[in-house]
Amino acid sequence: MKLKAKAKNGIVKAKVMMKHDMITYDQAKKKGVKPNFITYVTASVDGKIVYEVSTSQFLSKNPILKYKFRGEKGKKITMTWKDLLGNTKSSTKKIK
Amino acid sequence: MQRRKFLSFGAVAVAAMMPSSLSATDYRKTKPDTWTSHTVDDSIKKLYGTGKLIEEGVTLKTPDVAANGGAIPVDISSNIAAKSVALFQDANPESTVAVWTVPENGIIDYSLKIKMKASGTMTVVVEGLDGKLYVANKTLQVALGGCEG
Repeated sequence: MKLKAKAKNGIVKAKVMMKHDMITYDQAKKKGVKPNFITYVTASVDGKIVYEVSTSQFLSKNPILKYKFRGEKGKKITMTWKDLLGNTKSSTKKIK
Repeated sequence: MQRRKFLSFGAVAVAAMMPSSLSATDYRKTKPDTWTSHTVDDSIKKLYGTGKLIEEGVTLKTPDVAANGGAIPVDISSNIAAKSVALFQDANPESTVAVWTVPENGIIDYSLKIKMKASGTMTVVVEGLDGKLYVANKTLQVALGGCEG
């Protein structure tokens, strides 16, 4: 997972690229594999959630999410995703 | 003036409906029906319990013609003080794409890329803290569908 966060005037712009195949039910049927896609993504700073989304199979492959929130430089942002099969991955970065 | 009326009415409704926007909500667990609905109207009803929509205050940006249906950029922004934001489309087998929970004092400015099988209409619904649903629609052409593998 690639994560970037940059603060300017009290607003943090964050961008994240999650490496995931995002196999839909249709694709899974054709290829004979299990459907699997990211279902839930959160980002938190100091234990407080700043971004939260529940997603479906219709996000693109290797989805890129961009968002803004109120925050400061130097703090650490942690992002976590969870997929249909229960895998999770998280990544922590300092806000620049 | 009208908005002021909404707010005073909405405060009561919100307090009754949901305890806090601080706690995490996984909409896949709390509203499982939404994710299997096949029409946009159905999904909205299952997610929010009502189909009454107000068409204002929400900006939805997508290209008019998407060359690649596998990754269509979508930008959503709004100045409404909101509880949640939901994105739907009517080209794929199921209509719900994503549901965001807006944290307290959060900024609604989200971008992501989605898949669409064919040309269709995207709908974004913002659930205000006043309990009303604000909506924006955008119809776009998809040159090459992105849902088949």
